[in-house]
Parts: sequence; structure tokens; C-alpha cells
Amino acid sequence: MLALLRFELREAFDSVPWTVYYWIFFAFQYFIYGQLVSRLVVNLSDYYTYYGTGLLIIMTFNISTWAGRRFVEGAHEGRLRYVLSLPFTRGELFLEQVLLGLVVNVVRIGPPLVLILYVTRLPAYTLATSLAVLLGMSVGIMGIMIALSFVAFKSFDIYSAIVAGMSAILIRFSTILYPLNFMPSAYAAPAQVNPLTYGADLLRSALNIDVSAMANPVLSGFVVLAVGACTLTVGMALVPRALEGVKSS
Amino acid sequence: MEVAVQTMGLTKAYGSTAALDSLDLSVKRGEILVLLGPNGSGKTTLLHLLATVLKPTKGTATVMGYDIVKQPLQVRETTGISFQEPRGFWRHKPYHILSFHASIYGIEGGERRRIVDETLEAFDLWPSRNKRFMELSGGQGKRLEVAKLFIQKPAVAIFDEPTAMVDLEGKRMIWDKIKELKESGTTVIIATNEVREAEYLADRLTIMKLGREVVTQSLRALKDSISGGDIVEVQFSTPATPAMVNALTRLPGTVRVVPDAENTLKAFVDRSEDWLPVMMTAVQQLQTKVTSIRVSEPSLDDVFLHYTEVLV
Repeated sequence: MLALLRFELREAFDSVPWTVYYWIFFAFQYFIYGQLVSRLVVNLSDYYTYYGTGLLIIMTFNISTWAGRRFVEGAHEGRLRYVLSLPFTRGELFLEQVLLGLVVNVVRIGPPLVLILYVTRLPAYTLATSLAVLLGMSVGIMGIMIALSFVAFKSFDIYSAIVAGMSAILIRFSTILYPLNFMPSAYAAPAQVNPLTYGADLLRSALNIDVSAMANPVLSGFVVLAVGACTLTVGMALVPRALEGVKSS
Repeated sequence: MEVAVQTMGLTKAYGSTAALDSLDLSVKRGEILVLLGPNGSGKTTLLHLLATVLKPTKGTATVMGYDIVKQPLQVRETTGISFQEPRGFWRHKPYHILSFHASIYGIEGGERRRIVDETLEAFDLWPSRNKRFMELSGGQGKRLEVAKLFIQKPAVAIFDEPTAMVDLEGKRMIWDKIKELKESGTTVIIATNEVREAEYLADRLTIMKLGREVVTQSLRALKDSISGGDIVEVQFSTPATPAMVNALTRLPGTVRVVPDAENTLKAFVDRSEDWLPVMMTAVQQLQTKVTSIRVSEPSLDDVFLHYTEVLV
């Protein structure tokens, strides 16, 4: 399984400019747009840091979505069929896909996270805790995307539409970019049941950002872990059946 | 007879369509079994089931004694499959693809480098070893796909259209390599639409249609099984008469006799090697002489069409 992970990582990082692009995108958003938008938000003491962490979560979400999408593309391109014939269990293959997504996440969001910690002069230990939270969120998101891949085996277009719609809803109806107590009630209600809200709040707790308006960190931690575990379990149950055509019986 | 692969009521359905329908088939150890069949006959589905890429809807199969449903991991360890379409790791290079495949099957270090280099050379991929997979031609991609099994040398090697897209020289090279693989003890299963490939490689042939086995025999037995499949053109020293037609028609093994030219009769017989001596004896009583004989046996095309169009 590690040989497959190494092999796929080589492909994932084949394009160095793409990884650098992620960092440039972050720096541009953080230093320019973040500064501008934080001046508009006067009711929150440090919206700049709040925005920066929100940006990290969006990047994590995008990279995790990419990992799920890559799995689906692998099925369409024939890569997955080859991998299915190799001597791994389906569980190992699933785990390898998740590990691949996590490593890509670490490489692409690690430097931006370090940058935020440096700019905001947060203690070094928060690097480990915040990275752990981001990776926990990533597992949940990848689990959802891979679990949904059974849709893609029927229609890649429907899968793309579902993922795009779900991404838009999950990111906007959450505390990624604005705290719960700033939201109109119509926004706040769905945000309170959105797992990303709990992930975002947990990240900010881990970074010691003002937590007064945020969900209980213990509850948030539980939600992040539960979502990750549930989506992985559902994915591991559904996807092999869809891949091996058992559903057709 | 030691069996390498045995299918038992193997069925794969997609909705109400049975891609494979209660297939009972066995493959002997160390033989090359070629699957022939029209498109949609279930050849590729069968190969994917044996390689545990798909799971059966009903029935099962064993590969080297391992059950494809209950022991898929052991089946994957003993089986290698070369897929019909060379697709996969688009951004990787042939060297890395083969090297990865070798490492998965426990070939490491200097041994791996040696085997990968040799295989790249043997499959004429050495000049392209540092191109990306997506930059290879269709034929090069196909040769790479096939080459994986020669790195692995599995107990059971499965090839789906091994020479599709490959040029004539490449086809011959791959066929010879497959024969070498067989000589080394590997059991080989090949699905193909190319009759020449089947004739060149097959120890036994299975003809499939609509997900079912129509017949499994050696090439010789298949050709012999067609009634009147051998065509014997007999030229006489005198014009062919109705009496001569009747005499040849009455011989055992004759299916029909028709005049072909003034001095020639064309006889459709079951087995020409049995029929000719009897015919020569019969001709002595007809007060004529045979001046020339031309025998043609049915081609595999004829056999294939016979079984797929007539029997099913």
C-alpha cells in the first residue's frame, strides 16, 4: 500500500507550479484581500486572523474535494481498474486514497498555516493542533466525496453538479468566513448543523482566537471526529460495492 | 489434469442483462486458453471477474485453488491482468510504471532495475522510457500494458486483446513472449477478436456468445467438428460424370459432392485425412484416374462463424 501511496504522490506532485500556485493564491488572498476586507469588519476584534483561518479551511476543503474527485476520475480513466487488480484489500486502497489526500493537504496548507502563525505571533505548538484539526476536517470531506463516487459511476456530470452544489452550500452556510452571531437567523440555523462550522470553530479554538462566539471545542472535536469516522465507514461500505458491480445483482 | 482456473455457474448481471450467464469452464495448468467471441459475448467480463476487479452476481470461480469471492487477495497475488485499453497513470513514465508494478510484487533494488530495463528493451520501449504515458502512441501504450505481466510473471496471466493497436512486428514479438511465458509454467488466458492470434497461440479455444460458452476444444478438434468442413477438389483424367458424383457421395464422411469444372468434383467431407484413402480406392472402380487433389480445411473464421451463427 505504501508503494502505491509513493507512486501516486509522485504523480500528485508532478506539477510543482500547481503547488506553488496554491501558496501564491493564499498569499494574495491573505495579504491583499484579507487586509481590505478586515477593514470593513469593525464589529469583530481581529477579523484579519479570522479571515486567514477561514481561507485555510477553504483550501483544505478544495484539496480534499480534489482527492475525492481524483478517485472518481481514476475510475473513468481506467487507473482505478488497474489498482483494483493489485494485491490490496479494498480497505487498504480506501485508506491509501485518504492518506494521499492528507499528505497533499499537509504540503499545500502547511506553509500557509506557518505563515498565519508567524504573522499573528501565535505559539508554535498551535501548529500541530491546528494542523490536526484541518486534517480531521479533510478526512471528513474526503470521506463524503469518495462515498459519493458511486454516483459518479452512473454519471460524472451528476457527481460534479452534486459536489459543486454541496461545496457552495457547505462553505457559505458555515462559520468559515463569519461567526455565527453575525449571521442573520436564516443563515445561522443551517450553519449550526453544518459540520464545517464545528471544524472551523475547533480550528480557531486550537489557534486561541477569541472563542466567545463559537461552539464548545469538545463538541466541535466530537463532531469533526464523528463526521470523519462516519463518512469513511459509509465510503468503505458503498464504494467497493459500486466499483465491483455488486449493486447490479 | 491439474486445473488452474475453474468457473462454477459464474454469472455477472447488469440489471436484467446477463453479461456472463452461468459459465462453467476450466483451464488446465500451463495451457493457453483463448476466448473468442463476438462483441458483448462476455469475454472481458469473465477476465475482470477472474482478476477480482468485478464480483460475480452468482456462482464463483477458483484461480490456482483460491476462490475469487472468498479469497480475492490471494487471487490477486497469483494473477496478473493486462487490460484491453492501455489507460492509467497519464503523467508517469514507462520506467516508473513498470518499476512500480515490480515493487508491488516484491521485486526490489538492483533486481528490479535489471528486470525493468530488460523488459523495456524486450518490448521496444527503451527509447520511450522517459516519455510520459500520455505521450506514448497507442501501440506503445499497449505494449507497456502487456509488459507489466512479464515483469510480474504470475501463475495465471490474463490478457485482454494483447495485440490490439500493435503493429505486425510487435504482434509477433508479443505472441512469442506469451509462448515463452507459457513455457515457464504460467497458465495463460487470452480474450481476442483476432483469429490469427488465436490460431497462433491457443492450446484450446473457447467460443463464447451472449455470456455463454458455446464450445471449448483444441483448434484441430474444432476444425474437425464442422461437418463437411474439409473441402477436397479432385481432378480426374476424364470428364466427371453423375456416376462419379454418386460414387463419391456414397463414401463415408462425405457431406456433399458438386461438379466444379469439366474434369473436377468438389467434395465437402468431415475429415479429409480419413476420406482420401477411401476415395482413391473407389476411383479405381470408376475407370478413371485422379490427376490432382487439392485439400483445404476450414479456417478458424469458418469455425467461429459456424459456432456463433449456427449453433446458438
